[in-house]
Amino acid sequence: MTIFLQSLLSGVLIGGAYALIGVGLTIIFGVMRIINFAHGDLVMLGMYASYFLFTLGNVDPFVSIVFVFPLLFLFGAILQKTVINKVLNALPQNQILLTIGIGLILSNTMMLLFTSDYRIISTSYSSGSFRLGEISVSTPLLLSFVITAAVTAILYWFLLKTDTGQAIRATAQDRDAAQLMGVNVKRMSVLATGIGAGLAAVAGSLISPTYYIFPQVGQPFTLKAFVIVVLGGMGSVMGATVGGVLIGATESLAGAYISSGLKDLVVYVLFLLILLFKPAGLFGKSRV
Amino acid sequence: MPPTPRNRGLAVLPIVLGIAGVVALAILPKFVESPYALQMMVLFFLAVIQGEAWNLIGGYGGQYSVGHAAYFGIGAYTVIVLLQSRGIAPWWGLFPALLLAVLVAAIVGSITFRLRGPYFVLASIAVAEIFRLAALNWKQLTNGAEGILLSGIPPLVIAGVQITDFSSKVPFYYMGLALAVVTVLVTIWFQGSKLGYYLQAIREDQDAANSLGIPLTFYKNVALMISAFFTAFAGALYGLYVGFIDPQTAVGLDISVQIVLTAIIGGIGTILGPVIGAALLVALSEALRSNALTDLLVGIGIVNPASTIGQFLRDNLSHAHMLIYGVLVALTILYMPDGVLGGIKNQIRKRRARAAAGGAA
Repeated sequence: MTIFLQSLLSGVLIGGAYALIGVGLTIIFGVMRIINFAHGDLVMLGMYASYFLFTLGNVDPFVSIVFVFPLLFLFGAILQKTVINKVLNALPQNQILLTIGIGLILSNTMMLLFTSDYRIISTSYSSGSFRLGEISVSTPLLLSFVITAAVTAILYWFLLKTDTGQAIRATAQDRDAAQLMGVNVKRMSVLATGIGAGLAAVAGSLISPTYYIFPQVGQPFTLKAFVIVVLGGMGSVMGATVGGVLIGATESLAGAYISSGLKDLVVYVLFLLILLFKPAGLFGKSRV
Repeated sequence: MPPTPRNRGLAVLPIVLGIAGVVALAILPKFVESPYALQMMVLFFLAVIQGEAWNLIGGYGGQYSVGHAAYFGIGAYTVIVLLQSRGIAPWWGLFPALLLAVLVAAIVGSITFRLRGPYFVLASIAVAEIFRLAALNWKQLTNGAEGILLSGIPPLVIAGVQITDFSSKVPFYYMGLALAVVTVLVTIWFQGSKLGYYLQAIREDQDAANSLGIPLTFYKNVALMISAFFTAFAGALYGLYVGFIDPQTAVGLDISVQIVLTAIIGGIGTILGPVIGAALLVALSEALRSNALTDLLVGIGIVNPASTIGQFLRDNLSHAHMLIYGVLVALTILYMPDGVLGGIKNQIRKRRARAAAGGAA
């Protein structure tokens, strides 16, 4: 029972960061119907940004998100305006190939600039933990989960209560109708990509104290983000939030009870099963 | 004037040129002994096989599988594992390898072909990742991340006569050439076959094809099985040729991306597209690896070799081939979505249209 609770807890805690990654992907998909295959590489950029802020500027990785979000927001927005915008009406396959290409460019550019050495951020609390009865709780994971929850709350407020947020949701719901209602859908696409990139990078910053940082670290996150988004229903922010936590917990339990090497495999098999039997996900309408 | 009906039979010129090309390639090793040149050609043939194989389902059928590394890996791993741990000669090991790949394709196809567009792409990636993780974790069979180093290939003896002992690159050259020619011939047959037409109909409009009575999943599956067959064959040849496989180089996502890239750069849904794509990609990655590109930039005076940039390029460009692939994918999709061949055809069409318009005026 202790093992079960222990892995469930660490799974849920890491699931918070997964949720942010998934929410970013789902917002981009919602507004533009484009699946961003470079999403994990944006997580990687966030990790590197935090790493350099920490080593060069002595900024704590959890504090660094106030710099990392605007930085990657800008990056995402520019990427949308200069490149992604050109394939909005292309075949979905071509859109995917384009973002795969962007991902390759990002990870390999980082490799050229900073080599493929593994880097770590060792903060005073990196390996810290405290006990809660029988269960040990990792301090950096708990901190990152709390910040994730705060970021998610702000995001929900933004999407539900502000005019811009509602315009983004309207664009996601029906691009043409939104445009007819006077929503500047081009601007919303730029905003959505910026927010999506920013969220992915923030997730990267938040997990940076507990992960190795290297140029290829992003790829598994891309696939995981899809699993999360498909589980929650494509385009559903709520679904991605719940999906992230669920996948985090599943992965952690599979790691504890089956084998840590096979936990990703379990997640992908689960992904195929969801695609087959519940393609609309838990919270979404079917778009298959 | 009534339009002249186009000859539906094969034109004579391409056939003559094709045969001449194959004959030239077949006698090449008699004149070229440089292992380096042969190595390039073997890599080129392997890329042609993979590109053409993917083209059947991806190009003609419009089903963009980004998981063909699964079949490549099955081919490579089955042959190598059987040879290395059971001592089964590769020409026997090929049968189970190809059979397994076709079987897996049938299973994967009947599951994933119910999905469309991006969902299919995602599912194909997930399948390949499952195989990569299996290769990584099933250590008794695959030796995990360390990979398998081949200790040798037994000599091929038919009726007491030793055909080859696989000690040089020449036997691989001929196997690659033969298989590349076969895949191109299969593609030519495929393009004019009922199967090929059905797939092109599916690519253009699935629902319309379905309403005309084409069983979608069945025909997609058949095409995928043929595609998997040749991809696995290429994988087996690759494993034997290189003599070393590990999960990343035999089943990694990079393999899947390279296969797709070979087809789309040349032009998908065409016979020669993957051949052109393979030639471009192999030449490019070699130019990068050997630093020939840097030498060229230095040679024509764009970059000063002593400068920081020159030094940086020399140190790094040789590891940059995945970066260049990324740039190529992006540029192809943005500016040449029909590939090199499609781009040239479009140019010719435009010029003709302009000439026709000029003649009318």
